Amino acid sequence: MTALLQVEGLTVDIAVPAGTLHAVRDVSFSVEKGKTLCLVGESGCGKSMTALAMMGLLPKAARRNARRLEFAGIDLAGAGRKVVNDLRGAHMSMIFQEPMTALNPSYTIGNQMMEVYRRHKGATAAEARERAVFLLGKVGIASAGDRLGQYPHQLSGGLRQRVMIAMALMCGPALIVADEPTTALDVTIQAQILLLLKDLQREFGMALVLITHDLGVVARIADRVAVMYAGAVVEHAPTVELFAAPQHPYTRALMECIPVPGRTLPGERLGSIPGNIPALIGTVTGCAFRDRCALADASCAAEPPRHLAGDHGWACVRGAV
Amino acid sequence: MTALMEVAGVRRDFSLSRGLFARARTLHAVDGIDLTLEKGEVLGIVGESGCGKSTLARMLLGLLPPSAGRITLDGVDLAALGRRKLAARVQPVFQDPYGSLNPRKRIASIVALPLAVHDMGDAAYRRKRAIDMLERVGLPARFADSYPGQLSGGQRQRVAIARALVMRPEIVVCDEPTSALDVSVQSQILNLLMDLRQEFGLTYVFISHNLAVVEHIATRVAVMYLGRVVELAATAEIFASARHPYSQALLASVLTPEPGKGVPDNGLGLAFPDPLDPPPGCGFNPRCLYARPVCKATAPAAVADGAARVACHAYAPLYRKEFE
Repeated sequence: MTALLQVEGLTVDIAVPAGTLHAVRDVSFSVEKGKTLCLVGESGCGKSMTALAMMGLLPKAARRNARRLEFAGIDLAGAGRKVVNDLRGAHMSMIFQEPMTALNPSYTIGNQMMEVYRRHKGATAAEARERAVFLLGKVGIASAGDRLGQYPHQLSGGLRQRVMIAMALMCGPALIVADEPTTALDVTIQAQILLLLKDLQREFGMALVLITHDLGVVARIADRVAVMYAGAVVEHAPTVELFAAPQHPYTRALMECIPVPGRTLPGERLGSIPGNIPALIGTVTGCAFRDRCALADASCAAEPPRHLAGDHGWACVRGAV
Repeated sequence: MTALMEVAGVRRDFSLSRGLFARARTLHAVDGIDLTLEKGEVLGIVGESGCGKSTLARMLLGLLPPSAGRITLDGVDLAALGRRKLAARVQPVFQDPYGSLNPRKRIASIVALPLAVHDMGDAAYRRKRAIDMLERVGLPARFADSYPGQLSGGQRQRVAIARALVMRPEIVVCDEPTSALDVSVQSQILNLLMDLRQEFGLTYVFISHNLAVVEHIATRVAVMYLGRVVELAATAEIFASARHPYSQALLASVLTPEPGKGVPDNGLGLAFPDPLDPPPGCGFNPRCLYARPVCKATAPAAVADGAARVACHAYAPLYRKEFE
């Protein structure tokens, strides 16, 4: 099966006063139609920048480079602004973490939802309205017709997030990129929203790139996982495989940090990762995790080799454990 | 076990203005809570946003007086105890280590401030105690003259913990202490909190929406819904077999890192009700799978079930038959 989205050697460099910040370093992955890829990592690992780079929404100071950046056979890296603008919102759309800042406070939600549809589909206001009401119903918002006239601030956080999801679905996109879509929500609402995304994926065959720091979300929703650290993908694997046999020391350390009923005993000490993520300004050499890694030695100062066992890959001087 | 703090029939209302001419509406943020905090325990408080857990925390800290009912510490009403005496014994750790530290003060003086407020020793003594405490929470003395802006989120949370502990309080009220932190930092802070509890014999009130964390650290758990405690039980018990339908749904929503299990359907359907317009009877009845007519008519009182307490008609002898 050919991939819907193919990213190879993606880098994002940001000019900062102290030099160049290498926010995303040589990241590659692909997503197939109807599948879910999770990008997982802690703050500052470059996962959000990767998402923005895919969508062509990077801040002005950032420079994007890629050997290959292809969506449905279209070369996004070489495409002009017009092509990307036509794709974004229609065929690939994004759900942001904080709906309060992503929604425009001075327009009603109906206005914002209908605009996307009319811009891309050339639909009439009535058609767009009908579509908006239909989708708000899909995301579980009661009395959707009345909601269209409301402003973002009149809705609760959970409702705003659902509106964001409905808005992303307006044009029936082939790909949705969701950046921490449920992080700000209660667990009860989180479960409902993820369930909804899964249902919609089954129904419309969307591909989903979900960015999260929550290993629970990853385990339950992803088909494949890419673990990011300091701007690079350090390990990628099918979800079951990653949780059963994590190879990279960072992935393993991360998994030991979370309490898991049945595996960790209440009150027992949890694993932790000492130190901080390295500054990515200037030239970054060798394994970026080596300062915090319990297994590190002198050989880690060299660029880590990439291992590939089946479709499970990782970048570390150590082989399989 | 001895009761350290007692919360009896506590309510807290907020009056919300709806403009110049509209009548103000009343929000019952905390709507009748009875709790005892035993010495040495870790009482976890869980519930969705808007359930009143932070309001309860602020009342336990004496930052907000109850509208009704009373909170006592060793039998003395918090109002009678006075802010200073209370602050020496009950201290907070808040969620946001960015907002809770004064950005213009150096770390050592932030941590020493409670000592200064209580007129303890001279400046040199206070600085020494502050630095000792900073080292105890894992911040080397070289950070003493840094500003909060120079520290990472985890380091700032360590400063907040050092400030809370410098007076050697008995109770620490932690309101989402790790929610703003990365997983690898969260585990460090949880480990630290558990170590400090041992070392200083602390009692914690631990508020979190992360149920896996609560299961890990708490000894007892209170589940709150719409300003009330709907279930209170030992941690192992509640996570193994929750009694209240809301506790069951809440626990069913937890995504443990077990691949292949899929996303659970908690059956809650509707969103959290408007706290300004709570449903009549049991607050949970519109979302409850087991609701009966009685649930819409009267609010359930808490009934004891062993050492646990549950506020659900299905457990009340009077109504139990209706649920069979």
